[in-house]
Amino acid sequence: MIGVEWSLLKKDVNMGMNLEMAKKILQSAVVAAKGMGKIVSIAVVDENGWLVALHRMDGAAIPTAEIARDKGWTAAVFRLPSSEVYQFGDPRTPGYGFNVQNWNERLTPIAGGMPIWNEGCLIGAIGICSENPKEDVIICQKVLEASSLWL
Amino acid sequence: MKELTLELALKMLEAAERWAGDIAGFPCSIAVVDKSGTVTAVHRMDGAGMATTDIAIKKAWTVVAFKMPTLMGSRWIDPRSMGKRIGDHAMGIIGMAKGKICFIPGGIPITNDENEVIGGIGCSGVPSGVGDISDTSVSQAGIIALYE
Repeated sequence: MIGVEWSLLKKDVNMGMNLEMAKKILQSAVVAAKGMGKIVSIAVVDENGWLVALHRMDGAAIPTAEIARDKGWTAAVFRLPSSEVYQFGDPRTPGYGFNVQNWNERLTPIAGGMPIWNEGCLIGAIGICSENPKEDVIICQKVLEASSLWL
Repeated sequence: MKELTLELALKMLEAAERWAGDIAGFPCSIAVVDKSGTVTAVHRMDGAGMATTDIAIKKAWTVVAFKMPTLMGSRWIDPRSMGKRIGDHAMGIIGMAKGKICFIPGGIPITNDENEVIGGIGCSGVPSGVGDISDTSVSQAGIIALYE
Protein backbone atom coordinates (compact mmCIF):
# COMPACT_ATOMS: atom_id res chain seq x y z
CA MET A 1 0.00 0.00 0.00
CA ILE A 2 1.62 3.17 -1.24
CA GLY A 3 0.99 6.47 0.45
CA VAL A 4 -0.24 4.99 3.71
CA GLU A 5 1.13 6.65 6.79
CA TRP A 6 1.82 3.58 8.88
CA SER A 7 2.55 5.52 12.01
CA LEU A 8 -0.95 7.02 11.86
CA LEU A 9 -2.55 3.66 11.18
CA LYS A 10 -0.81 2.03 14.07
CA LYS A 11 -2.53 4.30 16.57
CA ASP A 12 -5.93 3.02 15.50
CA VAL A 13 -4.94 -0.59 15.93
CA ASN A 14 -5.84 -1.80 19.37
CA MET A 15 -3.01 -4.02 20.46
CA GLY A 16 -5.07 -5.57 23.24
CA MET A 17 -3.82 -7.52 26.21
CA ASN A 18 -1.51 -10.48 25.97
CA LEU A 19 -0.20 -12.86 28.59
CA GLU A 20 3.30 -11.40 28.60
CA MET A 21 2.00 -7.92 29.42
CA ALA A 22 -0.39 -9.36 31.99
CA LYS A 23 2.48 -11.13 33.74
CA LYS A 24 4.50 -7.90 33.85
CA ILE A 25 1.54 -6.01 35.31
CA LEU A 26 0.93 -8.72 37.91
CA GLN A 27 4.57 -8.71 38.88
CA SER A 28 4.63 -4.96 39.44
CA ALA A 29 1.40 -5.20 41.42
CA VAL A 30 2.84 -7.91 43.67
CA VAL A 31 5.96 -5.80 44.23
CA ALA A 32 3.84 -2.73 45.05
CA ALA A 33 1.63 -4.73 47.43
CA LYS A 34 4.62 -6.26 49.22
CA GLY A 35 6.14 -2.79 49.54
CA MET A 36 3.02 -1.66 51.37
CA GLY A 37 2.85 -4.85 53.42
CA LYS A 38 -0.49 -5.88 51.89
CA ILE A 39 -1.71 -9.28 50.79
CA VAL A 40 -3.86 -8.88 47.69
CA SER A 41 -5.45 -10.65 44.77
CA ILE A 42 -4.76 -9.17 41.36
CA ALA A 43 -6.72 -9.80 38.17
CA VAL A 44 -5.77 -8.61 34.70
CA VAL A 45 -8.52 -8.66 32.08
CA ASP A 46 -8.41 -7.90 28.38
CA GLU A 47 -10.19 -5.04 26.60
CA ASN A 48 -13.47 -6.98 26.56
CA GLY A 49 -13.39 -7.79 30.25
CA TRP A 50 -12.35 -11.42 29.93
CA LEU A 51 -9.83 -12.73 32.43
CA VAL A 52 -6.26 -13.11 31.16
CA ALA A 53 -4.37 -13.76 34.39
CA LEU A 54 -5.15 -13.79 38.08
CA HIS A 55 -2.80 -14.17 41.03
CA ARG A 56 -3.87 -14.56 44.64
CA MET A 57 -0.98 -13.95 47.02
CA ASP A 58 -0.39 -16.44 49.84
CA GLY A 59 -2.78 -15.74 52.67
CA ALA A 60 -5.19 -13.52 50.77
CA ALA A 61 -8.82 -14.03 51.77
CA ILE A 62 -10.88 -16.40 49.65
CA PRO A 63 -13.40 -13.93 48.15
CA THR A 64 -10.68 -11.51 47.07
CA ALA A 65 -9.91 -13.56 43.96
CA GLU A 66 -13.44 -13.26 42.61
CA ILE A 67 -13.88 -9.62 43.68
CA ALA A 68 -10.61 -8.68 41.96
CA ARG A 69 -11.94 -10.23 38.76
CA ASP A 70 -15.24 -8.37 39.14
CA LYS A 71 -13.41 -5.07 39.59
CA GLY A 72 -11.32 -5.71 36.50
CA TRP A 73 -14.41 -6.58 34.46
CA THR A 74 -16.24 -3.46 35.59
CA ALA A 75 -13.27 -1.21 34.81
CA ALA A 76 -12.77 -2.74 31.36
CA VAL A 77 -16.34 -2.72 30.08
CA PHE A 78 -17.30 0.72 31.44
CA ARG A 79 -13.85 2.12 30.63
CA LEU A 80 -13.94 3.87 33.98
CA PRO A 81 -12.34 3.27 37.35
CA SER A 82 -14.74 0.88 39.09
CA SER A 83 -15.34 3.43 41.86
CA GLU A 84 -17.02 5.76 39.34
CA VAL A 85 -19.52 3.25 38.05
CA TYR A 86 -21.93 4.12 40.88
CA GLN A 87 -22.95 7.22 38.89
CA PHE A 88 -24.99 5.05 36.52
CA GLY A 89 -27.20 4.04 39.43
CA ASP A 90 -27.52 7.52 40.87
CA PRO A 91 -31.21 8.57 40.88
CA ARG A 92 -30.20 12.21 40.28
CA THR A 93 -28.69 11.27 36.92
CA PRO A 94 -30.88 12.13 33.91
CA GLY A 95 -32.05 8.94 32.29
CA TYR A 96 -31.81 7.02 35.50
CA GLY A 97 -32.95 3.46 35.11
CA PHE A 98 -29.79 1.45 34.96
CA ASN A 99 -30.73 -1.81 36.58
CA VAL A 100 -28.10 -2.41 39.19
CA GLN A 101 -29.67 -5.53 40.63
CA ASN A 102 -29.34 -8.88 38.87
CA TRP A 103 -28.23 -7.16 35.73
CA ASN A 104 -24.80 -8.72 35.73
CA GLU A 105 -23.21 -10.74 38.47
CA ARG A 106 -19.82 -9.11 37.83
CA LEU A 107 -20.83 -5.46 38.15
CA THR A 108 -19.26 -3.92 41.24
CA PRO A 109 -18.91 -0.29 42.31
CA ILE A 110 -16.13 -1.08 44.80
CA ALA A 111 -12.96 0.95 44.25
CA GLY A 112 -9.88 -0.94 43.07
CA GLY A 113 -10.40 -1.54 39.35
CA MET A 114 -8.68 0.67 36.78
CA PRO A 115 -8.66 0.61 32.98
CA ILE A 116 -5.26 0.57 31.26
CA TRP A 117 -4.95 3.02 28.38
CA ASN A 118 -2.25 3.24 25.76
CA GLU A 119 -2.31 6.21 23.36
CA GLY A 120 -6.06 6.51 23.56
CA CYS A 121 -6.68 2.79 23.17
CA LEU A 122 -8.04 0.62 25.93
CA ILE A 123 -5.81 -2.42 26.21
CA GLY A 124 -7.31 -3.97 29.33
CA ALA A 125 -7.95 -3.40 32.99
CA ILE A 126 -6.57 -4.35 36.37
CA GLY A 127 -8.53 -5.28 39.47
CA ILE A 128 -6.96 -5.44 42.91
CA CYS A 129 -8.68 -6.61 46.07
CA SER A 130 -7.52 -6.66 49.69
CA GLU A 131 -9.23 -5.62 52.93
CA ASN A 132 -9.16 -1.89 52.18
CA PRO A 133 -10.33 -0.46 48.81
CA LYS A 134 -8.43 2.78 49.45
CA GLU A 135 -5.13 0.91 49.49
CA ASP A 136 -6.21 -1.09 46.43
CA VAL A 137 -6.54 2.18 44.53
CA ILE A 138 -3.05 3.26 45.62
CA ILE A 139 -1.60 -0.04 44.40
CA CYS A 140 -3.54 0.32 41.12
CA GLN A 141 -2.10 3.79 40.57
CA LYS A 142 1.43 2.53 41.25
CA VAL A 143 0.94 -0.27 38.73
CA LEU A 144 -0.41 2.11 36.08
CA GLU A 145 2.55 4.42 36.62
CA ALA A 146 4.95 1.51 36.25
CA SER A 147 3.18 0.16 33.17
CA SER A 148 3.19 3.57 31.44
CA LEU A 149 6.99 3.26 31.24
CA TRP A 150 6.99 0.21 28.97
CA LEU A 151 3.64 0.47 27.24
CA MET B 1 5.65 -29.52 49.90
CA LYS B 2 3.13 -28.86 52.65
CA GLU B 3 1.13 -25.94 51.31
CA LEU B 4 0.42 -24.73 47.82
CA THR B 5 1.95 -21.26 47.47
CA LEU B 6 1.72 -18.74 44.67
CA GLU B 7 5.36 -19.44 43.86
CA LEU B 8 4.68 -23.16 43.34
CA ALA B 9 1.55 -22.39 41.35
CA LEU B 10 3.48 -20.11 39.00
CA LYS B 11 6.14 -22.77 38.56
CA MET B 12 3.45 -25.24 37.51
CA LEU B 13 1.78 -22.74 35.19
CA GLU B 14 5.06 -21.91 33.50
CA ALA B 15 5.84 -25.55 32.76
CA ALA B 16 2.29 -26.28 31.60
CA GLU B 17 2.29 -23.22 29.34
CA ARG B 18 5.59 -24.26 27.80
CA TRP B 19 4.22 -27.74 27.18
CA ALA B 20 0.97 -26.44 25.72
CA GLY B 21 2.70 -23.95 23.45
CA ASP B 22 5.72 -25.90 22.25
CA ILE B 23 4.61 -29.52 22.25
CA ALA B 24 0.83 -29.64 22.16
CA GLY B 25 0.70 -26.53 19.99
CA PHE B 26 -2.64 -25.28 21.30
CA PRO B 27 -3.04 -22.08 23.32
CA CYS B 28 -5.03 -22.86 26.43
CA SER B 29 -5.98 -21.62 29.88
CA ILE B 30 -4.47 -23.16 32.99
CA ALA B 31 -5.75 -22.66 36.54
CA VAL B 32 -4.28 -23.69 39.89
CA VAL B 33 -6.50 -23.72 42.99
CA ASP B 34 -5.54 -24.36 46.61
CA LYS B 35 -7.21 -26.81 49.00
CA SER B 36 -10.14 -24.47 49.58
CA GLY B 37 -10.94 -24.60 45.87
CA THR B 38 -10.09 -20.92 45.46
CA VAL B 39 -8.02 -19.75 42.55
CA THR B 40 -4.34 -19.19 43.35
CA ALA B 41 -3.27 -18.37 39.80
CA VAL B 42 -4.83 -18.46 36.33
CA HIS B 43 -3.20 -17.74 33.01
CA ARG B 44 -4.88 -17.54 29.61
CA MET B 45 -2.38 -17.92 26.80
CA ASP B 46 -2.57 -15.63 23.76
CA GLY B 47 -5.10 -17.02 21.33
CA ALA B 48 -7.01 -19.18 23.78
CA GLY B 49 -10.77 -18.78 23.79
CA MET B 50 -12.26 -16.41 26.33
CA ALA B 51 -14.47 -19.06 27.94
CA THR B 52 -11.54 -21.37 28.63
CA THR B 53 -10.48 -19.58 31.83
CA ASP B 54 -13.83 -20.30 33.47
CA ILE B 55 -13.75 -23.94 32.40
CA ALA B 56 -10.17 -24.37 33.65
CA ILE B 57 -11.10 -22.84 37.03
CA LYS B 58 -14.16 -25.09 37.29
CA LYS B 59 -12.15 -28.18 36.45
CA ALA B 60 -9.63 -27.33 39.13
CA TRP B 61 -12.45 -26.66 41.63
CA THR B 62 -14.04 -30.01 40.84
CA VAL B 63 -10.71 -31.77 41.37
CA VAL B 64 -10.42 -30.36 44.91
CA ALA B 65 -14.10 -30.87 45.70
CA PHE B 66 -14.05 -34.56 44.77
CA LYS B 67 -10.35 -35.23 45.47
CA MET B 68 -9.90 -37.03 42.18
CA PRO B 69 -9.08 -36.24 38.57
CA THR B 70 -12.04 -34.99 36.53
CA LEU B 71 -11.40 -37.89 34.16
CA MET B 72 -12.61 -40.29 36.88
CA GLY B 73 -15.90 -38.45 37.25
CA SER B 74 -16.53 -38.08 33.54
CA ARG B 75 -17.76 -41.67 33.38
CA TRP B 76 -20.58 -40.71 35.76
CA ILE B 77 -22.05 -38.35 33.19
CA ASP B 78 -21.27 -40.52 30.18
CA PRO B 79 -24.60 -41.31 28.48
CA ARG B 80 -23.23 -44.66 27.36
CA SER B 81 -23.31 -45.95 30.92
CA MET B 82 -27.02 -45.13 31.32
CA GLY B 83 -29.11 -48.13 32.20
CA LYS B 84 -26.33 -50.69 32.19
CA ARG B 85 -25.98 -50.98 35.94
CA ILE B 86 -27.77 -49.13 38.73
CA GLY B 87 -25.42 -46.62 40.29
CA ASP B 88 -23.08 -46.58 37.36
CA HIS B 89 -24.02 -43.07 36.36
CA ALA B 90 -24.78 -39.82 38.13
CA MET B 91 -26.48 -37.63 35.57
CA GLY B 92 -28.09 -35.66 38.37
CA ILE B 93 -24.74 -34.15 39.23
CA ILE B 94 -24.92 -31.93 36.15
CA GLY B 95 -25.61 -28.39 37.32
CA MET B 96 -25.08 -29.12 41.02
CA ALA B 97 -23.04 -26.80 43.26
CA LYS B 98 -24.29 -23.69 41.41
CA GLY B 99 -22.92 -25.03 38.14
CA LYS B 100 -19.37 -25.21 39.43
CA ILE B 101 -19.01 -28.94 38.83
CA CYS B 102 -17.23 -29.69 35.57
CA PHE B 103 -16.38 -33.30 34.77
CA ILE B 104 -14.56 -32.67 31.53
CA PRO B 105 -11.17 -34.47 31.60
CA GLY B 106 -8.27 -32.09 32.22
CA GLY B 107 -8.11 -31.54 35.97
CA ILE B 108 -5.58 -33.31 38.23
CA PRO B 109 -5.15 -33.08 42.02
CA ILE B 110 -1.94 -31.80 43.60
CA THR B 111 -0.93 -33.98 46.56
CA ASN B 112 1.58 -33.60 49.35
CA ASP B 113 3.93 -36.27 50.69
CA GLU B 114 1.10 -37.86 52.73
CA ASN B 115 -1.06 -38.16 49.59
CA GLU B 116 -3.48 -35.53 50.83
CA VAL B 117 -4.98 -33.24 48.22
CA ILE B 118 -3.55 -29.73 48.71
CA GLY B 119 -4.82 -28.27 45.47
CA GLY B 120 -5.79 -28.87 41.89
CA ILE B 121 -4.70 -27.89 38.41
CA GLY B 122 -7.09 -27.59 35.51
CA CYS B 123 -6.53 -26.91 31.85
CA SER B 124 -8.88 -26.04 29.02
CA GLY B 125 -8.31 -25.17 25.39
CA VAL B 126 -6.80 -28.28 23.84
CA PRO B 127 -9.51 -29.87 21.65
CA SER B 128 -9.13 -33.25 23.32
CA GLY B 129 -9.63 -34.39 26.89
CA VAL B 130 -7.70 -37.63 26.95
CA GLY B 131 -4.65 -38.72 25.00
CA ASP B 132 -1.09 -37.74 24.22
CA ILE B 133 -2.03 -34.18 23.32
CA SER B 134 -4.87 -33.24 25.61
CA ASP B 135 -5.98 -31.05 28.48
CA THR B 136 -4.93 -33.82 30.85
CA SER B 137 -1.39 -33.98 29.50
CA VAL B 138 -0.98 -30.21 29.84
CA SER B 139 -2.06 -30.47 33.49
CA GLN B 140 0.32 -33.38 33.95
CA ALA B 141 3.18 -31.22 32.68
CA GLY B 142 2.32 -28.80 35.46
CA ILE B 143 2.31 -31.54 38.10
CA ILE B 144 5.67 -32.88 36.88
CA ALA B 145 7.20 -29.42 37.37
CA LEU B 146 6.59 -29.79 41.13
CA TYR B 147 8.97 -32.72 41.33
CA GLU B 148 11.81 -31.27 39.28
